[in-house]
Amino acid sequence: MALAPEIYREFEAIVGPAYISDREYILAALRQPQPHSPFKPVSPVAVLLPETTEQVQAIVRVCNRHGLRYIATVSSLISFAYPNGPNTIILHLKRMNRIVEINERDRYAVIESGVRHGQLRTELMRYGLSYPVASVGPGGSVLANFACSSGDNHVEYGTSRSNRYLAGIEWVTPTGEILRLGSLATHAGWFNADGPGPSLRGLIKGFAGQWGGLGVVTRIAIGLDAWKGPPEMPTEGRSPRYRMRLPADCHKVLIFKFPTLDQVHDAMQAIGRTEIGFSVMKYFNASAALLATESANEFWELWNSGLFQRELARPLFVYLSTWSAEELAYEERVLHDIIAETGGEPVADEVLDIYRENMDFFVLVGFLQRVLRLGGAWAPTKLGGDSVSHMFEVAKAIPEFFDGFIARGQVLDAPDNFMITPAEYGHQAHIELLYLWDRNQPDWAEVGLQVMRASLENDLEHHHHGSSPPRAKAMLERLGPRYSNCHVWIERLKAAFDPNDVSNPMP
Amino acid sequence: MTAMNRLEDLRYTMESCNHCGQCKWVAGPRTTGWRFAEICPIHMRHHFDAYSGQGLLNIARELLDGELSYEPGLVDLIYSCTMCGACDTACKSIRDMEVLDTIAALRAHCVDAGHGPPAPLTRAADAIATHGNVFGRPRAERDGWRHTPAREEGGSGPIPEPSSSSEIAYFAGCAACYLQTGIARDSARILAAGGWDVQILGSDEECCGRLLWQTGQWQAAEQQIERNLAIFRRRGIKTLVTSCAECFGAFRGIYPRFAAVEVEVLHISEVIARMLREGALRFDREVDLHVTYHDPCLLGRQSEPYVPWQGEIKSFGLHEPPKTWRRGHDGVYDAPREVLRAIPGVTVTEMARHEENALCCGAGGGVAAANPVLARWTANERLDEAEATGAAAIVSCCPQCRGNFTAALPRRDRALDVFDLTNLAARAL
Ligand SMILES: Cc1cc2nc3c(=O)[nH]c(=O)nc-3n(C[C@H](O)[C@H](O)[C@H](O)COP(=O)(O)OP(=O)(O)OC[C@H]3O[C@@H](n4cnc5c(N)ncnc54)[C@H](O)[C@@H]3O)c2cc1C
Ligand code: SF4
Ligand code: SF4
Repeated sequence: MALAPEIYREFEAIVGPAYISDREYILAALRQPQPHSPFKPVSPVAVLLPETTEQVQAIVRVCNRHGLRYIATVSSLISFAYPNGPNTIILHLKRMNRIVEINERDRYAVIESGVRHGQLRTELMRYGLSYPVASVGPGGSVLANFACSSGDNHVEYGTSRSNRYLAGIEWVTPTGEILRLGSLATHAGWFNADGPGPSLRGLIKGFAGQWGGLGVVTRIAIGLDAWKGPPEMPTEGRSPRYRMRLPADCHKVLIFKFPTLDQVHDAMQAIGRTEIGFSVMKYFNASAALLATESANEFWELWNSGLFQRELARPLFVYLSTWSAEELAYEERVLHDIIAETGGEPVADEVLDIYRENMDFFVLVGFLQRVLRLGGAWAPTKLGGDSVSHMFEVAKAIPEFFDGFIARGQVLDAPDNFMITPAEYGHQAHIELLYLWDRNQPDWAEVGLQVMRASLENDLEHHHHGSSPPRAKAMLERLGPRYSNCHVWIERLKAAFDPNDVSNPMP
Repeated sequence: MTAMNRLEDLRYTMESCNHCGQCKWVAGPRTTGWRFAEICPIHMRHHFDAYSGQGLLNIARELLDGELSYEPGLVDLIYSCTMCGACDTACKSIRDMEVLDTIAALRAHCVDAGHGPPAPLTRAADAIATHGNVFGRPRAERDGWRHTPAREEGGSGPIPEPSSSSEIAYFAGCAACYLQTGIARDSARILAAGGWDVQILGSDEECCGRLLWQTGQWQAAEQQIERNLAIFRRRGIKTLVTSCAECFGAFRGIYPRFAAVEVEVLHISEVIARMLREGALRFDREVDLHVTYHDPCLLGRQSEPYVPWQGEIKSFGLHEPPKTWRRGHDGVYDAPREVLRAIPGVTVTEMARHEENALCCGAGGGVAAANPVLARWTANERLDEAEATGAAAIVSCCPQCRGNFTAALPRRDRALDVFDLTNLAARAL
């Protein structure tokens, strides 16, 4: 359905004629089915490219007046960034792309929504600063990741999930109020999203964010950590064969393998207690093979060799990042003691070399999207968070529901393709199972959802906190009772803040 | 045509796109900060996703499936793309997709459906058919460059007489034959100085046909390619030297789509680098200049040889038989830099976006003719980046780039010199 001409004119008056379009060929770029999905999103009726918070506010007010739905988005990587109902406009926030401030002294950066990981990460390196970069690739929006979506990353062991780094929020509510939260509300600066001043941080972001379902976040501040590497990316080579070696006296990757998951768990906990290391992960093995290769054919060669299944079924990736060679030597000694006590051993050199040669794996601005290389039909399930021990319990139950899909040939035969990453030195952890299937198989359209449902039911059966509350009403209602009835809370908050139900309603 | 190049052959690419956006950005490991991080000129200019590799894939898919029709504005959008291939290289750093081939096929779809290309590009095709060059200039004047000095030339002295028996030919290309003749003159001088005796095709030389392929006029492209290959055969040419990146990229990346290319194709920068290494050429004169080097798209990321592939994409993306991918890794990046660094007095500072991540000059894909305003806009973006290096001049290896940069200069505050590599190299002889 087209946008009424008078509404178009209202929008046009806000953003200017160059920054609005309702042309079908412009909208075509915002309604494509994702490769894992048979469903084509509903076409938006228009796309707008606002430049300021005030323009966003004005647009949101027009939407409320006319009952138009809106979705704020930046790179639109995920399906929640696309309309699931009629009369939806897209607020593409890429022109709001300023790095407003980099405060070296108090270590925070204030950014608008269009600033991307590739940009902020490299800009901050010059100041000797960093932040936990989500593993989404350089084009992902930093703000979306910190304030609107999930926020897990490869270095959360030594840092945290992105939600814990939010230090200030400017928010256009679903009805069009501009709110500045936390320390901003009292004009005290951008240092804390919770206070002094009112805090709604948990509501806007909480664990996983609102995915555009509760207004538009226009600016945030994020806390920054020290960057112990060089001021510029030490990249060598050419695409797709980049190599990134960090100075060997202070940066080192070690990977160990263990006979059982319990031993991985014990080693992970022990490392956390010592607070050595910057990144610690039980990483995916098929995804690792995808990241390490340059084509699907190369992946198959590696995967069929069985190397990654043998070496990385139950691995622990450890990245040590220190200020001095002495510190590195100390951390390495401690680590080797722990590994010896817990029964691990180093993986084959040919595997380790891949990571020594390319620490982009930890810097995380490179090739994460390679995980989609096998045609693009993939999905993550679980995505939950709890204690380290609990996450391992969830992992041990994976075969119960997943092996059947493998046996029936519905998904890639990669039962160990899950990740458990501790956060904040092991005070909490995150789990993610990535599964891939093939669009050539006759039932490809159903596989994604079938696995997700089976995974959820498995969690319910075991009283596990494996799954993150999903953004789909039916599944949320099923899971909500296990999470303090979050489905009821979410619904009530939505009704209170978004009475016209226009801000990216949940499907 | 031998390979799978039509829109319907490229469905796997169109259906694999997950909107990750990499095609709009410099590869992460090569990003240097907030500024100069984007890579698609049309997306930088218009911001809508439709103006990008990803958007063009989406448009192509809807047109193919009959979900979108040719409406006013769509053809202009499709022809605003400079075919620079930055999206293609960026996407191929992570995926097995043929973004640029899909854009090319989309243009062919436009032409087949009777909606394209824009008028200036059909006029160029007519000119090529009638006169053998894009400008519609007389065929007989094709080697006029040999007799008339040009303002931009760096060398001095007479232009050597061409050989009639050599198996090596210098292919000047339309732009250097008619507009930037200094490039052809300096190229001829350099080749002679290095001891290479070359044929010059004169009125036998015709447009390489790059523009025809890039603008979707594939039938005309095929005819042009066959004509040129016949000329090369007739003249006994075994090696072809070009000073134009676009001709070079066409011979390597476009011709094999239509016919087997039996000649060795070299860019003049490769030849000079080889001569320097072998001691056949020396730069004796100092050229006191701080420069930055602009990688032309068809000399850099798009110059890998095209190897036709016909096969099946099996489960989980397995290509059978294995495919030779053109990921932009093995373009001609080193030779021009080697030559520049060998010139006494020249210092080179890289721009943030360089080699396979270079930003297009803005002139490619027929944009200079069909949308000159956009072409100048992109040139300005690139010149801003060049200025940010502190260099006094920008050097390229392609008359198209040089022409477009030069056209953008008058409206800029700071005067930046624009050179072709051959002009500087000839000056140093
Ligand atoms: C291959 C792949 C890997 C991924 N890996 C990770 C990972 O490791 N860690 C992780 O955290 N996530 C991951 N994601 C999920 C997701 O893409 C990210 O969370 C990402 O940060 C979202 O940013 P974006 O730029 O893609 O935003 P978009 O896709 O544009 O938006 C994400 C969501 O946030 C909403 N939104 C965006 N901007 C605003 C705003 N300003 N105000 C209100 N709502 C807004 C959108 O409506 C959408 O629902 C991954 C996705 C893919 C495809
Ligand atoms: S990089 Fe490739 S997969 Fe990603 S959006 Fe662009 S075309 Fe699509
Ligand atoms: S070829 Fe160049 S201009 Fe065209 S879409 Fe790709 S990056 Fe943009």
